[in-house]
Amino acid sequence: MADALKKIALLGNPNAGKSSLFNQLTGLRQKVGNFPGVTVERKSGFTKLDGKTEVEIIDLPGTYSLYPTSLDERIAVNALIDLNNQDYPDAIIYIADVTNLERHLLLLTQISDLNLPIVVALNMNDIAAQQNITCDEQKLSKEIGIDVIKINGRNGEGVDIIKLKIMQLLNENKSSNTANHFYTLNEIEENLAQEISNIIPVRNNYNALLIAHHAKKIGFLNDEKKNALQHLITEQKFNSLNNQLDEIMQRYQRFSPIVQSVLSKSFSNAKTLTDKIDFVVTNRFFGPLIFFSIMFFMFQSIFAWSTIPMDFIDEQFAALATFLHQHLPENLFTKLLTEGLIPGVSGILVFVPQITILFLLITLLEEIGYMARAVYMFDNIMQKFGLNGRSIVSLISGGACAIPAIMSTRTISNWKERLITIMVTPLISCSARIPVFAILIGFVVPSFKIGFLNSQGLVFMALYLIGIAAALIASFVFKKILKAEEFSFLMLELPEYRKPHWKNVFYTLYEKVSAFVFGAGKVILIVSLVLWFLASYGPTHKMQEAENVAKIEATLLNLDQQQTALRIASKKLENSYAGYAGRFVEPIIKPLGFDWKIGIALITSFAAREVFVGTISTLYSIGKDANNLTIKQKLQQEKNAEGKPVFTMAVALSLILFYLFAMQCVSTLATVHRETKSWKWPVIQFLYMTGTAYVVSFITYQFLK
Amino acid sequence: MSSNRNITNLQLGEEATISEFSNGHVASKLMAMGLLPGAGISLIRKSPFGGAYYVKAKNHYVALRSNEAENVLLTNG
Repeated sequence: MADALKKIALLGNPNAGKSSLFNQLTGLRQKVGNFPGVTVERKSGFTKLDGKTEVEIIDLPGTYSLYPTSLDERIAVNALIDLNNQDYPDAIIYIADVTNLERHLLLLTQISDLNLPIVVALNMNDIAAQQNITCDEQKLSKEIGIDVIKINGRNGEGVDIIKLKIMQLLNENKSSNTANHFYTLNEIEENLAQEISNIIPVRNNYNALLIAHHAKKIGFLNDEKKNALQHLITEQKFNSLNNQLDEIMQRYQRFSPIVQSVLSKSFSNAKTLTDKIDFVVTNRFFGPLIFFSIMFFMFQSIFAWSTIPMDFIDEQFAALATFLHQHLPENLFTKLLTEGLIPGVSGILVFVPQITILFLLITLLEEIGYMARAVYMFDNIMQKFGLNGRSIVSLISGGACAIPAIMSTRTISNWKERLITIMVTPLISCSARIPVFAILIGFVVPSFKIGFLNSQGLVFMALYLIGIAAALIASFVFKKILKAEEFSFLMLELPEYRKPHWKNVFYTLYEKVSAFVFGAGKVILIVSLVLWFLASYGPTHKMQEAENVAKIEATLLNLDQQQTALRIASKKLENSYAGYAGRFVEPIIKPLGFDWKIGIALITSFAAREVFVGTISTLYSIGKDANNLTIKQKLQQEKNAEGKPVFTMAVALSLILFYLFAMQCVSTLATVHRETKSWKWPVIQFLYMTGTAYVVSFITYQFLK
Repeated sequence: MSSNRNITNLQLGEEATISEFSNGHVASKLMAMGLLPGAGISLIRKSPFGGAYYVKAKNHYVALRSNEAENVLLTNG
């Protein structure tokens, strides 16, 4: 039944206000998937045209013409030239910005030559009105032979008329018929199109011509047809690029006079607000300064604003677990619920405040048009490392948490540059590493003042810098190894500054947060359940024995009730499956200076790095509410079998560096899997990061011990 | 016309007219973005760390890498 729904494609240039219109049309009835076989996001949604006729609206990636330069633009073209494409539309809503009408007519006249039912949604009339410019949309409609409706994407004005127009077009089965009106195929193109239409199903000659233009990158033909197509192209001596340029010129020549006749006056190139803002914002000196101030503010707010909601979530779930623990019968189900499931869900939701704040700020910067300026300013430096101007935002966000940072790479259209950004972002020290470093740093360097600076603060800063340097070096290596699938272009439009559209901000936030909770969240939950099981269970008799031994020891040592409980927990963890795993990995981590207890902590902290602190506390029978100082003192007293201290300076530094480089975060891996749609990249990421960590820690420990 | 001046030869704030493009791919994309031969263009800024150019043509603002900017040939005035 769902397949019988009519498909309406939403198409237009970038920055025309397409997502606003999409949100107006579909509201929250949206779904995000992928176009088959590629990593380009496919956004679609549902709407009722006349109150009862349901249709699917497909938000095709924005493009300037049917001659695409990036992967997502190609998706839009494929959906329009392949009659068997699952997204081949029954009708098109073309969104055009009246302040850039001339340029927006290029793609419109191209798609209208494909004989599809089209309605034009003319947007940004309010901005034109500010400059006292009006557009005679009825005249425009007559001249181009397509219905034109004025809309306001921000408040939804005109959207209902668009829906009714589409309804009418579908009922009448009325297609645009502008072939030869704006572009006349030359003799070679005409012949070639005729020949192609004999072997490939097409709508008309222009459709066939576009297939010839895209012959090299066409995914929907079998080899036999591709060869036949290539043969025809060579036979007719068809030069794609030259014909493209001729076509674009001819179209502009034919529709430019129309634009002049429908606008009350033309848009001047006088200094606008955008010029004034950019005079400061892209300034050689102030530009980077403003950028880093914004980033600093973003970084601060992620830390500062998220602490309260994060603690709140943490406490609420802990309270819930305690409450259930007290009121439910003590059995396996209760344990699973209170010790496995609830902390697991809490471990996912605790990231939500950070993700929300980060995306709120990023979406705002994107909405007002700032992001394109940042890309322009940093593109050159990032290029040297195989990254994109946009990567800088992800790298900086990685300082808070790699998960939202990796999700923010979606704005990078070049796949290679996006992939490299995803691969290196987790090397930037995230907030979860801080508790680990804070515990261990005291073993590396005592706290003293150097001038007004604190010695440990300096080491902290050095660790951040090492992380940044490592990310850049890794990018450079990936740049050399990976091969590019497409040209890397900048040629970026810097859109005029605009007030943020809060509805768009809301929908983007809603989509990103739910993608995290329901996408990556599933994997995080499963892994934390597994880790909980491993740390809570062991061979039954061993666990029983451990408890008994702990009780006897407690009686001998005359421990109070609380200390006894801690001792039991510690002995049980030692004998759990996680304990066995710790002993199992000990020979591997011994050269790094780690014993099997640290091994247990390494394993449990896969759920999240900060779990290291909790596990260490349990292992050494330190109460849960102990502060860092108590943990540190306890650890200092810890001796190994030969009576030497476990946590020496060499071990601590080796451990810090291990946490700095190693991919110790399942949540990040789950996100990388989600974003790259494969297990290959998270596996490579795990291997290269943990491999580096191993080598660095090995050298450090062997050199210092 | 005269020289082989391109966007990278412009002084800040200087205006010129696009005469042609010396690379088809750059031409196709920029023309689709509204930068046509015959259009007036002015250099607004160079990027803080070099390598990129910020130009304005009519009411279109576009950022280009230097290897892209080199392909936009200009005549004066």
